[in-house]
Amino acid sequence: MVTFTIDGQSVTVAEGTNLIEAALKVGVEIPTYCYHPGLSVVGRCRICFVEIEGMPRLVTACSTPVQDEMVVFTASERVREARAAVMEFLLENHPLDCPVCDQAGECGLQDYSVEHGLDSTHMIDVRRTFPGLERRAIGPHVIQNQNRCIHCTRCVRFTTEISETADLAMKSRGNHSYIDTFDGTPLDNPWSACVADVCPVGALTVKEFRFRARVWHLEETETVCPGCSIGCNVDLGHLDGVIHRFVPRANAEINGWWMCDYGRFLADGLNSREIDAPLRRTEDGECAVSWESAMATLATLLRAAPKPLVVASANFSNEALYSVKRNLQESAEIMVVVPIQSGDQRRIRNARGEWIDSVDAHSNSTGARHLDLTLVDGVALESYIRDGDGPLLILDAHAHPWLETEAAAAAVAGRPTAVLARGRTPIVDTASLVLPLASWAETEGTYTSSTGIVQLARQALPPAGQARPPWEVLHSLARHLGHEQERIMSPRLLFAEMAAEIGAFAGMTFGRLKTEPGMPVHEEARGVG
Amino acid sequence: MTEVATPPLVVASIEAVENPSFDEGMESEIKRILERYPEGDSGAALLPVLWLCQERWGWISPGVMRAVGQRLDLSPAFVESVTSFYTMYMLRPPGKYLLQVCTTLSCQLCGTSGLVEHLKEKLGIDFGETTADGRFTLVDVQCLGACGEAPVVQINNDYYTDLTADSLDEILDGLDG
Amino acid sequence: MTIEPILLAARGVKNSRTLASYLDRGGYKALTKAVAMDPAKVIDEVKTSGVRGRGGAGFPAGVKWSFVPRDLPKPKYMICNADESEPGTFKDRELILVDPHEVLEGIAIASYAIDAHTAYIYIRGEFVREAEILERAIAEARDKNYLGKDIVGSGYDLEVHVHRGAGAYICGEETALIESIEGKRGLPRLKPPFPAVVGVFGCPTVVNNVETLACIPHIIERGGAWFATIGTERSTGTKLFCVSGHVERPGVYEAPMGTTFREIIEGFCGGIRNGGKLKAFIPGGSSAPILPADRIDTPADFESVAEAGSMLGSGGVIVMDDTVDMVWALENLLTFYAHESCGQCTPCREGSDWALDVVRRIRRGYGHAGDLETLHRIARFASQGMTICPLGDAFCLPISSFLEHFGGEFEAAIAAAEKRAATFLPILPVRSDHALFESEEAS
Repeated sequence: MVTFTIDGQSVTVAEGTNLIEAALKVGVEIPTYCYHPGLSVVGRCRICFVEIEGMPRLVTACSTPVQDEMVVFTASERVREARAAVMEFLLENHPLDCPVCDQAGECGLQDYSVEHGLDSTHMIDVRRTFPGLERRAIGPHVIQNQNRCIHCTRCVRFTTEISETADLAMKSRGNHSYIDTFDGTPLDNPWSACVADVCPVGALTVKEFRFRARVWHLEETETVCPGCSIGCNVDLGHLDGVIHRFVPRANAEINGWWMCDYGRFLADGLNSREIDAPLRRTEDGECAVSWESAMATLATLLRAAPKPLVVASANFSNEALYSVKRNLQESAEIMVVVPIQSGDQRRIRNARGEWIDSVDAHSNSTGARHLDLTLVDGVALESYIRDGDGPLLILDAHAHPWLETEAAAAAVAGRPTAVLARGRTPIVDTASLVLPLASWAETEGTYTSSTGIVQLARQALPPAGQARPPWEVLHSLARHLGHEQERIMSPRLLFAEMAAEIGAFAGMTFGRLKTEPGMPVHEEARGVG
Repeated sequence: MTEVATPPLVVASIEAVENPSFDEGMESEIKRILERYPEGDSGAALLPVLWLCQERWGWISPGVMRAVGQRLDLSPAFVESVTSFYTMYMLRPPGKYLLQVCTTLSCQLCGTSGLVEHLKEKLGIDFGETTADGRFTLVDVQCLGACGEAPVVQINNDYYTDLTADSLDEILDGLDG
Repeated sequence: MTIEPILLAARGVKNSRTLASYLDRGGYKALTKAVAMDPAKVIDEVKTSGVRGRGGAGFPAGVKWSFVPRDLPKPKYMICNADESEPGTFKDRELILVDPHEVLEGIAIASYAIDAHTAYIYIRGEFVREAEILERAIAEARDKNYLGKDIVGSGYDLEVHVHRGAGAYICGEETALIESIEGKRGLPRLKPPFPAVVGVFGCPTVVNNVETLACIPHIIERGGAWFATIGTERSTGTKLFCVSGHVERPGVYEAPMGTTFREIIEGFCGGIRNGGKLKAFIPGGSSAPILPADRIDTPADFESVAEAGSMLGSGGVIVMDDTVDMVWALENLLTFYAHESCGQCTPCREGSDWALDVVRRIRRGYGHAGDLETLHRIARFASQGMTICPLGDAFCLPISSFLEHFGGEFEAAIAAAEKRAATFLPILPVRSDHALFESEEAS
């Protein structure tokens, strides 16, 4: 360990820590562009200069490891002058694009300009431009404006060091250098939009987010990606009930600073909803009903023999699945299955550079396993459904691709079927009872990653229309089935009961999950899932 | 300094270098080049191999970059990144004679600008352009390191020094083809 | 002050490039002597000679060699820097054309001293014929056992390879050169670590200039103490001065360190051509601050030139008479640096182009009152450690020295421009100047 002084404060850090990271430990933020904790150090932007006692020249903090008894000044006169000069150099050719640039509000140049720059510039000459590279789709998800580039090379280093696809490179030399792909090939790797994340300015931006909203208007909710079992941490950006984007949230164990394009671009899909009120179908026709009435109908449906089949979802939170288990599975007459599809192989790198691979396409198959629910694949799911002839409660019309097919609708035809859904599927169009299901962003819940980490996804929006989250539906159903007294219920309370009962969650609380990045399931339960 | 007239460049057409491959001679030369560097550092062969390709084909096309990348286990984007950094690698086919006129201070002090005006008028092209007959490409370059014999023009691989408009005319007229 | 030439003694000798000629002149005796010595003693001899790097930095070569950690279990590398791209510098080319074996012998002795078994000569891409000359010389030397395996029966092996650059001045900076050898863009590295510890392929490396290495055989042959008697106390030996520009007889002249610029310019070079008058000279390659004519009696050694306000650098002397427009001259130099900036770090990448734009605009008659302040600001903040490598200083020193000694010409150009602008653009902002500027550019 090494002890040194920074701006008068004493810090002790591990040997080899660079000054940027060491300063952060005492809340001192040294400005950076080319430095990124997940990428190699290049020391090229020159904004992170600091003064070290006894050294005649300023040094770049990113490339300077701490040494015992070093005395560092991050805000001396010399440092402030140097930073202001570097800011002026960076802005010298930078276009005054703020009014039309998506990066505004989260732009490194804007941020440091206010803090560290000058009020004006000495530059009165014509700025250099890159005709043809000013609003160019460099890939299916990324738009390039080379005029804005500050040549930090974070994007190049991302494709070399993280995605290892080596698709971006700096070409030419000097002030004419520019970022490009080889010979017109599109930037098209599974994590391509991450280059827009790492770009400190608007030189690389996400096409799907272009011109949608100003980032300072967005509310950001800390949540977890539902795209597969990995559970990358996400910031969900929304405004007035519309979800505008996902951006990765740092998590050292799971996704580092990254997320894949597939997960990222699930964002917009959350805005579509076709079912927003409970609906009952009889021989006489369809009619909208109240939730109370719908729950009563559902309870009757389930009590009617023979054995009802409940299809839950591996995309449900732990609280929802626990609710399923407690309110339905415990009943000997009801069969509960959780369908799993393996889906496309996905992977992400964590902060240590380790690759994490998905095991299936669901956000909580691991949670379902820990709760001892019966997991089935598509073939088995179809068997269960065809082999039975009793009523069906499909808790999520989108729990498995097969459920969304015409064949599935045909298989359940003639049987009393209740389904919770957001969008229309053949089953939704023929079911006797259709209930609006809140999306995972419209409720709070914990999910267990395939690496065994329990993570909290906060609620971003209130449920649209009359939609309700699955845990609430099940709690209400339990009351109508006579299992439950009238009482308050919430994901937090469910979690507390679950933690007390299920060994995998022993010792966890919602409160801790709100402050800690995630909690590993209990050791003995690790082998499961 | 040059006694024998400069031979013309051998320049392959765009089609010829869309998907080039290394013949036996080139392949053995590549092996010889690789032997100069430690085994785990074969990337060091990149500049020499690019020179080999430029000698063979006259310029470095994307197809050449792909072939070089494959041979040396480097991504094509990386090969292009390196190639485009160095001004002597031609990214477009040049004419038969690449007239590289030094325009840095010492040569300018000795009359380069007059030479340049003369050349531009005589050939009818500006810096960065090639004559319609494909014979001459004119480029301005930085200090060639022969300042004591200024003005200096490099034609293909040869230095021509102590130039005047007349001596340059004579040289150009004496070139083959 | 003249003495018998040492480095260019072979000038005028027929077939001086051949091994036969070199042996005839006593060549490879020093190498034979060196490989029988304790390498530490070889380094000592070079330290005693006081020979300093002749590529521009002037660092004592013997000291540089001693930084190599011999005990580190990694191969060591010797690199000869033949990138010679500093404007006004053409001495290394002369050495290769006249006496390539002298250079090879220096490389071999240096390699032996630092325990390197592989040496590279990084030669600028434009020096095609010179590279061929070196390759022929290497083949000759290998053939007669002065290079290759078991050199002169000593048991010491050394292979020397020529590695051609491809048009990048920045590759003369030793870490950029190393990157270039490794097959990458020539971007200078962050230091520390220094090449002596972590160099090419991650191994200890010494990079020396051609001329520095050419001194080595003479130092070993005749002793470091002998070398130190030539020149001045802290700038020892002879130096190859390359003089270009407005002199009667431009060329490469070998003279002891400490010879004055007057002796060089008026003596060796016959003074200003066409009976002209000296206005200014750049003493050490274009990166050195310019000196006005009244500094002509400055002795050409590292210390004296530094005291006079410049640098000896590479010894490339660019001479300007009073027909030269200094604004034009600075524009020319800045064009060079903007072209050669690798683009890695912000102050140089942006500052070099910006300074060029400003000076070009002044030269075209569209100067503005704030321009000199802008130039001073750029020069201040793209130098002195703000940049990764000294290319920042290399374009900033010309800016500040031109403004210091010839600022009047810049002020006059700006005043004339402001006066013109005032007559027909009384109320429009400065940007309208650019409409005029652009239309002139098109014509």
